[in-house]
Amino acid sequence: MWGLPVIPLLINFCGALLGFVATLTLIPAFKDHFIAAKLFGIDLNKTSKQPIPESQGVISGAVFLIILFCFIPVPFLSCFVEEQCKAFPHHEFVAFIGSLLAICCMIFLGFADDVLNLRWRHKLLLPTMASLPLLMVYFTNFGNTTIVVPKPFRVLLGMHLDLGILYYVYMGMLAVFCTNAINILAGINGLEAGQSLVIAASIITFNVVELNGDYRDDHIFSLYFMIPFFFTTLGLLYHNWYPSSVFVGDTFCYFAGMTFAVVGILGHFSKTMLLFFIPQVLNFLYSLPQLFHIIPCPRHRLPRFNPGTGKLEMSYSKFRTKSLSALGKYILKVSETLRIVDVRQELDEDEEYTECNNMTLINFVIKLIGPAPEQTLTVLLLLIQVRQTLPQGGGPSAVDVDPH
Amino acid sequence: MWGLPVIPLLINFCGALLGFVATLTLIPAFKDHFIAAKLFGIDLNKTSKQPIPESQGVISGAVFLIILFCFIPVPFLSCFVEEQCKAFPHHEFVAFIGSLLAICCMIFLGFADDVLNLRWRHKLLLPTMASLPLLMVYFTNFGNTTIVVPKPFRVLLGMHLDLGILYYVYMGMLAVFCTNAINILAGINGLEAGQSLVIAASIITFNVVELNGDYRDDHIFSLYFMIPFFFTTLGLLYHNWYPSSVFVGDTFCYFAGMTFAVVGILGHFSKTMLLFFIPQVLNFLYSLPQLFHIIPCPRHRLPRFNPGTGKLEMSYSKFRTKSLSALGKYILKVSETLRIVDVRQELDEDEEYTECNNMTLINFVIKLIGPAPEQTLTVLLLLIQVVGSTTAFLIRYQLVRLFYDV
Repeated sequence: MWGLPVIPLLINFCGALLGFVATLTLIPAFKDHFIAAKLFGIDLNKTSKQPIPESQGVISGAVFLIILFCFIPVPFLSCFVEEQCKAFPHHEFVAFIGSLLAICCMIFLGFADDVLNLRWRHKLLLPTMASLPLLMVYFTNFGNTTIVVPKPFRVLLGMHLDLGILYYVYMGMLAVFCTNAINILAGINGLEAGQSLVIAASIITFNVVELNGDYRDDHIFSLYFMIPFFFTTLGLLYHNWYPSSVFVGDTFCYFAGMTFAVVGILGHFSKTMLLFFIPQVLNFLYSLPQLFHIIPCPRHRLPRFNPGTGKLEMSYSKFRTKSLSALGKYILKVSETLRIVDVRQELDEDEEYTECNNMTLINFVIKLIGPAPEQTLTVLLLLIQVRQTLPQGGGPSAVDVDPH
Repeated sequence: MWGLPVIPLLINFCGALLGFVATLTLIPAFKDHFIAAKLFGIDLNKTSKQPIPESQGVISGAVFLIILFCFIPVPFLSCFVEEQCKAFPHHEFVAFIGSLLAICCMIFLGFADDVLNLRWRHKLLLPTMASLPLLMVYFTNFGNTTIVVPKPFRVLLGMHLDLGILYYVYMGMLAVFCTNAINILAGINGLEAGQSLVIAASIITFNVVELNGDYRDDHIFSLYFMIPFFFTTLGLLYHNWYPSSVFVGDTFCYFAGMTFAVVGILGHFSKTMLLFFIPQVLNFLYSLPQLFHIIPCPRHRLPRFNPGTGKLEMSYSKFRTKSLSALGKYILKVSETLRIVDVRQELDEDEEYTECNNMTLINFVIKLIGPAPEQTLTVLLLLIQVVGSTTAFLIRYQLVRLFYDV
């Protein structure tokens, strides 16, 4: 097999640095185009009402794609130049192109969603469609749908279990999950790009550690994507950090989620990758009652800005007490008892209303520490992201054998 | 090698029909989304000022992509199911995925151009960037940059000529040319989608004829893309035909141009494909003075609508006679003598102005036949396209003996 491909990795790193500079300069350059195209938003957590360009993920995404397009032949150059490989590594080449196709399609559909304001059910459909090339490439390249059963279940299921088509469902769902998980842990300046940077850094660290392992090629493959992703997102975060001069848009969440899903699936470490998503998972579980509308879900669930103190407070969902279903009442009672939700009752024009805080991780943090400035909150949530990653550094080696 | 892959072609055809129905239904379904996103235009050739959704090429393009995503494993199924292939055809698989990557990227960048209204220099840059995967795949898959020299030049250059990096420049330029050539032969309802349909039909005919030839696989590869492209564009044209209820947008021109460039390059028949672009080439050559601003070029060059007669007349470019460069004066003189441009002089507030018709193929047709209703013009130009394709077949199969050994 190959030794460590130092030169391709170096070229990839240089390309990534170029990408950082390109993203940094292109974002301000296109500001007016976005505003003219009505692609802007108002920062609800500021007093100023100036228009802020949206969907800037399309710029960092396009730069990412161009860099990787130029990079396509690089990992395979040694086969032409020095005839150093026994046979052309077609599988790796196809995996590379197929991954770019899935990511490119996702950025495209994500940008279309930002422009056309598609409905919620489309947010589940779009990542599924964009992950089709990934599934097809996996089918044609590997076709392996057998997993190693975790130790506790081996008595029941045996050592290996062929999931068959369920494996493909899992892969498809992975893209849907990653994109939307990042999308709903949002609402304060710099959070979407910031959390993605932390996850990317975690994956890169994991990849580097595993370079000494048995699956070196998988991790090199992952690095080829994660390094440019990290640096283009860094360029984006430079403009998106508090106070944001640009917003990343759903485009970025789609782009990030798909890139993570791609490296997780074709790098064969999706379970480890999901471990880096713990805060997103917690936020998702906490949000479930509202996502399924068991508890009413308003249009925006971001924290509420108090212009007087300049701090962010919990935002609430207010609804008629009568309109709540039995299941909703039960969930609210349990949550209140476990003290994970703040519930208030009030009378408004002879009608009894219930208010509960919007069930997001951001609101929960505010519940714990009290009203806080926006930047403090973002840093705190990013620290939570980092804290959840640190134990994983030693995690994979403690897990048995197969890195699925 | 393989026999004719009937089943994959049949599946591809069925997928294409599904694509036709999907495009047909999705376009009206998203009308409001586009209007709300301010992606609409006003039909300058109608009296009504109602907003018409733009960039609908993004819908037919997205449907095209989804169909081909689902189709990816189909040509290779026989390798898994019946173990009918000696070795997995990696080259074909990579070519397929790489082509989809170039087309997907082009639709994406094209849509971004429609939304963000990027500048003219970007219209040259975007197709170049989107064709990078194509070039990289070609480099890694084939790497062959040697061409067979046409007979008249063999005395000078020999039998074969290795173009080296120039071959890649040619491939990159092909995408830029195809996209923009379709884009500038535009301005009347249904023309962009219509001309693309004719070109696609021509390519499909050529592919079917060549299925009996030596390069069957290349033409099957081309059919896998052209058939879904034909039917999704047909669904688009249904709504875009006169009177247009939707506009296709630059997105469609980018999408069409890149798809043609892809099949031409990876199917190794780019010269024949360019023969199907004769009307576009003529329009491009005729437009050159205005494209390079040697003769002033207004924002829109489409024909002028006469609300009184309901017909389209030539549109003119008006400018101060003094402001014309020497080269511009010369070109205008020659064109006037050859009677391919209509030139008028007039005095306006003591300043001498020159008016010449905008140098487009549409205007030229109006010059020949006089003012005409819009639908007549479109049909006429599509007939010119068909004649162009017929000529192309004649050149390819008859005159080709003058240039190559067949």
